[in-house]
Amino acid sequence: MSDDEFLTVTDVSKWYGDEQVLHDVSFEMDRGDVTVLIGPSGSGKSTMLRCVNRLAEAQEGSIRLDGEEVLSPDLDVDVLRREVGMVFQGFNLFAHLTAVGNVALGPRRVLGLSEAEARERAEEKLERVGLADQFASYPAELSGGQQQRVGIARALAMEPKLMLFDEPTSALDPELIGEVLEVMHGLVDEGMTMLVVTHEMSFARAVADEIVFLDGGHVVERGPPDQLFERPEKERTGRFLERIASHD
Amino acid sequence: MPPAATTALAAVDSAALATELASAATRLQIGQPEDWEFVLRNTDYLGVGVLLTVGLTVASILLGFVVGFPAGAVEVYGDGLLKRVVSTAGIVLRGTPIVVILIVMYFVVGVPQINLGVVSISSAMTAGILGLGLRSAAYQSQIFRATLASVDDGQMEAGRSIGLSRFEAVRYVVVPQALRRSIPGFQNEFTIVLKDTSIVFAIGLAELLTRGYDLFSEQTTAVLEVILFISAIYFVLTFTTNRALDRLGDYYAIPEGESA
Repeated sequence: MSDDEFLTVTDVSKWYGDEQVLHDVSFEMDRGDVTVLIGPSGSGKSTMLRCVNRLAEAQEGSIRLDGEEVLSPDLDVDVLRREVGMVFQGFNLFAHLTAVGNVALGPRRVLGLSEAEARERAEEKLERVGLADQFASYPAELSGGQQQRVGIARALAMEPKLMLFDEPTSALDPELIGEVLEVMHGLVDEGMTMLVVTHEMSFARAVADEIVFLDGGHVVERGPPDQLFERPEKERTGRFLERIASHD
Repeated sequence: MPPAATTALAAVDSAALATELASAATRLQIGQPEDWEFVLRNTDYLGVGVLLTVGLTVASILLGFVVGFPAGAVEVYGDGLLKRVVSTAGIVLRGTPIVVILIVMYFVVGVPQINLGVVSISSAMTAGILGLGLRSAAYQSQIFRATLASVDDGQMEAGRSIGLSRFEAVRYVVVPQALRRSIPGFQNEFTIVLKDTSIVFAIGLAELLTRGYDLFSEQTTAVLEVILFISAIYFVLTFTTNRALDRLGDYYAIPEGESA
């Protein structure tokens, strides 16, 4: 374990009751890295992601982010989450707020910006995700792809140092996936550090610095995309990739 | 309140409405003209009852909200002793007949008269407001408990994910949505409290319905006329208030529109 790493996950284990859902999961990321967690449903990849911003509590192991122990009981989770953005599978936009209201809430209430500053920042982030024409729209008035882009803007508005994506395109109709992936590609190009759970293998392949394959709560294999996709070392990895490919 | 509601409320004790209702009733041959005249002679007496009914209702509903909303929130988000105390108090209040609650407030607790400078509230009135208000709080807490719990967990999670504390996420994300969903239940509660104010006769307060009793005891042929007249007033009060709350609900409704 090196101190230079931006995010170091070491031997993280988690149980729901008697059932162990994560077994000694370890991986590292540098600043600006994109790491993609893949694996069958129930493999623990979303749970692993949620442990990083403490939406789920890991019982064992260590997660060091930028030199701080995330799992420490003394850590202020609200401060942690200010710096770690999260994008949800089901969008989870605040249903009673407009697009601008959704994005401005964090800057206004958490960062303490003025109403005008928060609004300005919200508009800027919405423009960045291509929604300059939807400032006043409510979530129910937007398509799934638009909602997810608002979700990304909401996370970006906190100017996080790490972005977590929890299956950001899984709830979308196929024709709407592209617009979300495009925004994510843009973030990669800007050097955002991203930890992504996804089934979009072509995206993973194109942008990931490292792929971590989880199955049954274990890291089965990890490595750069070319290696993992072309020459998987483990049979289970190969089988999973074949199954996924046949659905593409 | 929308203009329609204010005008309608203002019209309640206006003689014009009373006369119109009475003549319509006479034309339809409901009741006897001389009994309607008797009712009309006593509109002032009934008007004081209306004021008492409205005052009790408004004060009780407000007290019920101020106490019931936090109580509902404690039942959803609280834990330990506080939650047990709140939920037990609710069960006791909901399980006790309102007459008993009022009698306990007035004769056992013996709440004092309250002087607010210009107005002074009699101890019976104070007991009435406390009794009706606390019982309403017990029912309102269940309205808010249900609507707070009905807001999807993902909303809270998303709030926490941007760094809002639990309290802030409840306040800025969950409560605004829960309050909107509370309006229909609140309309019911308002209607129930309005009509239950009549029970304050048990502690000697003469509100609208009690004054009606007084009147038809005096002129026993006028039972139907008095009751119809009073019912019309209750109807106007519940109808206008419910419509006002409908408008409030429409005003704050979250736009859905066609998905783009």
